[in-house]
Amino acid sequence: MITDEVGTFSDTVEEAAPVEACTKCTACNTVCPVARSTEIFRGPKFLGPESERYRSQPEAAVTAGLDLCSGCKLCEVTCPSQVSIQEYIRRAQNKGAAEKGRTLRDWVLGHTRLLSRFGSMTAPLANLGNRNPLVRWAMERVLGIHHKRPLPRYQWLTFERWFTRRPHNKTARRTVAYFYGCWVNYNERRLGEQVVAILERNGIEVIVPKQQCCGIPAVVNANMDLARKYGGENVRRLSGLPADVDIIASSTSCGLMLKHDYAHLLDIPGAEQVGARVYDICEYLWMLHEAGELNLDFQPVSTRLLYHAPCHLKSHGIGYPAMRLLRLIPGVQLEEVDEGCCGISGTFGVKVEKYDLSMKIGSRLFAAVKAAGTDAVLADCETCRMQVEHGAGAHSAHPIDILARAYGHG
Amino acid sequence: MPDTTTGVVVIGGGSTGAGVLRDLSMRGIEAVLVEKGDLASGTTGRSHGLLHSGGRYCVNDLAAAIECVEEGRILRRIARTTIEDTGGYFVSVSEEDLAWEPRFVEGCAKAGITCERISVEEARRREPALSQHVRTVFWIPEDGHLDPFYLVMGNVESARRRGAQARTYTEVTGFIRDGNQLTGVLTRDTMTGEETSIGCKAVINATGAWAGFVARLLDVEVKVVPVKGVMVVLSHRVAHATINRCHKPGDGDIIVPALSVAILGTTAVKVPHPEVLPIEWDEVRHMIEEGSLMADGVSTARAMRAYAGVRPLYDLGAEAEGREMSRNFAVIDHEQRDGIAGFTSIVGGKVTTYRLMAERVTDLVARRLGVTTPCTTAEVPLNDRDDELDQLRHRPAQLGVPKPHGGERPLQPLVCECELVRPQDVTPWFEDAAVRTLEDIRRRTRTGMGPCQAAICSYRLAGRLVTDRHQDGPTATRAMAELLETRWRGVRHVFWGSQLRQAQVTTGLHLELFNLDRQLMLQAEPAAAPEAVGARQ
Ligand SMILES: Cc1cc2nc3c(=O)[nH]c(=O)nc-3n(C[C@H](O)[C@H](O)[C@H](O)COP(=O)(O)OP(=O)(O)OC[C@H]3O[C@@H](n4cnc5c(N)ncnc54)[C@H](O)[C@@H]3O)c2cc1C
Ligand code: SF4
Ligand code: SF4
Ligand code: SF4
Repeated sequence: MITDEVGTFSDTVEEAAPVEACTKCTACNTVCPVARSTEIFRGPKFLGPESERYRSQPEAAVTAGLDLCSGCKLCEVTCPSQVSIQEYIRRAQNKGAAEKGRTLRDWVLGHTRLLSRFGSMTAPLANLGNRNPLVRWAMERVLGIHHKRPLPRYQWLTFERWFTRRPHNKTARRTVAYFYGCWVNYNERRLGEQVVAILERNGIEVIVPKQQCCGIPAVVNANMDLARKYGGENVRRLSGLPADVDIIASSTSCGLMLKHDYAHLLDIPGAEQVGARVYDICEYLWMLHEAGELNLDFQPVSTRLLYHAPCHLKSHGIGYPAMRLLRLIPGVQLEEVDEGCCGISGTFGVKVEKYDLSMKIGSRLFAAVKAAGTDAVLADCETCRMQVEHGAGAHSAHPIDILARAYGHG
Repeated sequence: MPDTTTGVVVIGGGSTGAGVLRDLSMRGIEAVLVEKGDLASGTTGRSHGLLHSGGRYCVNDLAAAIECVEEGRILRRIARTTIEDTGGYFVSVSEEDLAWEPRFVEGCAKAGITCERISVEEARRREPALSQHVRTVFWIPEDGHLDPFYLVMGNVESARRRGAQARTYTEVTGFIRDGNQLTGVLTRDTMTGEETSIGCKAVINATGAWAGFVARLLDVEVKVVPVKGVMVVLSHRVAHATINRCHKPGDGDIIVPALSVAILGTTAVKVPHPEVLPIEWDEVRHMIEEGSLMADGVSTARAMRAYAGVRPLYDLGAEAEGREMSRNFAVIDHEQRDGIAGFTSIVGGKVTTYRLMAERVTDLVARRLGVTTPCTTAEVPLNDRDDELDQLRHRPAQLGVPKPHGGERPLQPLVCECELVRPQDVTPWFEDAAVRTLEDIRRRTRTGMGPCQAAICSYRLAGRLVTDRHQDGPTATRAMAELLETRWRGVRHVFWGSQLRQAQVTTGLHLELFNLDRQLMLQAEPAAAPEAVGARQ
């Protein structure tokens, strides 16, 4: 593990406290993007620790309004008592779904991996369909997916296949395993290519173990059993890696699942040990820099950029390594937007009944992005990027894209 | 001439007095209840809230056990909404407990208590909280939770609908006599000091542990031994059913899941006066240690507060002490015993048997007044409407939210989020003249009884004093400070872990951020306030 050599610059995940630890300070409510945007949501304090006291009773489960929690986890990040607020909400959502049954839509969205595989196999057709108003109308009626929500483009060549076909260079100081996630695999292979190029440029060998969806789409669509199944497969495979191989993720939420939720929310055996060696790509590169190992041979990139910190990145508890990294590049002018959640929260803002809410949550961010008028908005999370492009009409990219340009891989 | 007259004056607003008031009103006897504090502010509001199945008494006090069995069944009919049918476990954790079992089984059989031996595995399946120390388990389906506050309010409301009155913060300070006949009581308002008199034909002394003091005003003796019991409140229910140690009743041998909390009880220590109830750290710790023997999670749960009550144990002259004394009650006919016509005392008993106690004493007093209407309290339910005393445990389901695409109807803000108190739960009480303090609102609605112990909701209640009672800011602020102060008295006994952190948040919020103590100080010395100077101009 790289932390053994260079030391960790922050504690990744804090120890969770029991529900009793809540002191009713209400800090969580003040940061909850949903509570701030609608008056029909009672907020994390109520739906988490307060309702939890009643959930232990056989008959009284507080379920009303639970589905409005987007799962951004900002409440947990903020809580001075380390209450796992969102975990309680998740478990209650899941229990409710298990009792009442899941909607077809939530089933489908929970199986992103299957969906994406299908989308990728039929890429040109699927992409056409996803842009066809008639198809979208049908999708809204049958599936409950809002017709205005742009859906991701699928690519025919997956990252996985691209990687196995490429020549492999093997002379390196370190080896990392890349958890690319469904997004890179089916929708944005280029990001994966850049990650590999940047790591290799720094003398690091990249291996790509076989992997399954990280499971977050299943978790947020109240299907924890499916998530546990996916997570179990990933933990099994990643546990088999040699002890000195770190694991890198380029998707914020995938990374958070591996680092934290597998062990804490899903109780997957062995997940703690795997989680301890998982790093966000920018976090890892920054650690290399701190160890004096980062290749600083950057070409100037003259550009004005905004950085939007995804909610789940805040949950990593690592600060904003992307900003620190990019500021090493000559020519880069980078500011943080700091207008809170973008509103999409994975599949939340895709749903017909939540689309408007999701756009309302993001409205502050959109306004700030429009006012700034920069070349692009950077975000480590793919759904944030989709939302910013949709809501603010701005160009959006992963921070790695800028770094790749600086290395001449743009 | 007395200021007002009525038929019967009932002294004491605990479960006994409230039950008597209702019984009198149902027999068509005009009555006024006077209580020196708030309703249920005496022993009644400081009990565990256990609806006794009788299991705890069936070995040592068979008569009391039988009363519990019968009354429990009646209360389930007439006071349904104040009861939660939790059922109960009697568990053995030691050799002595195991030796007690045959006597317990025999006692249950004699008293008619349904009692079923179940395997420890089966018990754990039903109640995972049962600890590893548990060796054998009996299931007693008729143990339950009886909310003492709702019970008292329910009785008083029912009596009020039949024309009875209840005056809170009204202390009986003396009696009016005409020779040997009592003709009225003298009262003093404990908040304003105002003195009044109420003329009546009979007085019922239902002052529990205070019965001796009231009787002494007439130079007669009622021997009540005040025996203190300490209880600890945990922030959640811990278990779904009550858990009792299957042994000779002792310290720390019961856990009652009461609405949203669990109550650990209790101790038995003789005290010199019913209002001298110190709570020792050893007692609190002992309760938690003993509770942990029966259920997991007791020691890790958040203790929210500790409180003490005082048993009104009637001294029958036996040398029995503390728990050994009968939990039975006594109706004392002072006309026969002491030659004071129109004076009757009712002491001892339990919340569980309040109705029977009321029936017995009312029978006597009614007979003396020549009223022959029989008692109907065992048949007529407390609430004319079922939903009248709504149950806390149903509130979560009532807090539904409209679906977003069904249009945004803003949620009603809660008054107290911990205990799910909605505005409509408190509003009527602000219109009730018997309610004088925010503590009174708490007793009727559970506002402020959750983990934060009124840290947050006290502001909302203070606001309601201004909007609903048109009080000025300083008055409402004082009321809020009083509520926090009374909560604090219970919280300070459990200053560790989460409740200590809570106390820091609470003091930080009220004293540091909002400067509450300074505001109260300025109020106390208005002359020093700069406004006084301005006023001269
Ligand atoms: C620790 C403990 C736990 C208990 N647990 C349970 C239980 O779980 N289940 C159960 O069934 N029983 C329980 N009991 C017993 C039960 O609480 C009491 O027996 C019962 O509440 C007595 O009610 P009461 O109305 O007679 O007395 P109280 O409730 O004490 O009422 C008497 C009232 O008289 C008022 N008063 C006194 N003097 C005057 C005056 N001069 N003028 C006007 N008013 C006056 C007092 O303020 C008081 O409110 C418990 C008792 C204790 C101590
Ligand atoms: S996870 Fe996000 S949306 Fe859900 S309660 Fe917490 S802050 Fe609100
Ligand atoms: S931030 Fe944490 S401690 Fe504060 S109210 Fe929310 S859950 Fe409770
Ligand atoms: S969370 Fe990660 S692995 Fe899972 S579907 Fe999304 S991108 Fe794929």
